[in-house]
Amino acid sequence: MSGSVTTSVVKVRDVLLVVVPPEPADAAIAALQDEVLEAMERHEARGLILDLSTVEIVDSFFARIITETAQMVALMGGRTVIAGMRAPVAITVTQLGLLITGTDTALTVDRALDRLSVEAARVTR
Amino acid sequence: MTSGTDQQVLVASEGDVVTARRRIREYAIAAGFSLTDVTRIVTAASELTRNLHLHAGGGRVSWKTVLDGDRVGMEMSFVDEGPGIADLERAFEPGYTSGRGLGMGLSGSKRLMDEIEIDSAPGHGTVVVARKWLR
Repeated sequence: MSGSVTTSVVKVRDVLLVVVPPEPADAAIAALQDEVLEAMERHEARGLILDLSTVEIVDSFFARIITETAQMVALMGGRTVIAGMRAPVAITVTQLGLLITGTDTALTVDRALDRLSVEAARVTR
Repeated sequence: MTSGTDQQVLVASEGDVVTARRRIREYAIAAGFSLTDVTRIVTAASELTRNLHLHAGGGRVSWKTVLDGDRVGMEMSFVDEGPGIADLERAFEPGYTSGRGLGMGLSGSKRLMDEIEIDSAPGHGTVVVARKWLR
């Protein structure tokens, strides 16, 4: 069952990367939030990249969890970048009237990594 | 308007929401909707099925093909025997919520679908019917 697929949090350079499954169930999304925040602390990560490139649906519950998570990550001193949202999902989220706030966006994970690294370079200089 | 055979999922748990979403996606793809319309249909289905689960303690989601003259479409019905909605006009306002959730379910689904109809009364449950026509 695709809804029960667990999502893992991977550390890449000094940021966390989460590849979100195509059709996550509510419980899986909520569990992911806890996992991400624990990993932020454990790895002293600089930021979080949410890879949505395989995600087929973002509804109001998912959008709320993304916004909440970004806010929590910000409270811990990190940045959140949403990467790879597909066109039909972007169209639907907008028409549904959902607001995803407190995040940066990037077309791909590569660009998200670049963005966070550039910021890191600027901060350490 | 004529219609084909119903397919349905009984919604009693969150897992059933995922099942309904997946089967509606498969049906909409087979019916010939574009990927963007499939995403609109599945997202509306997700919002409205979650309403059944959160506000009515469960219910039934069914869907079928409908014909109206030259038009072919997909019709989804969300039926529950929950508390019902007292103020139907306000229920369609963005941000109006009876409790949990963002209150985007009905108003947002209306923007994603071509037609949406709702019938409800306090104590008598709610029926939401949503249609999308093939272009």
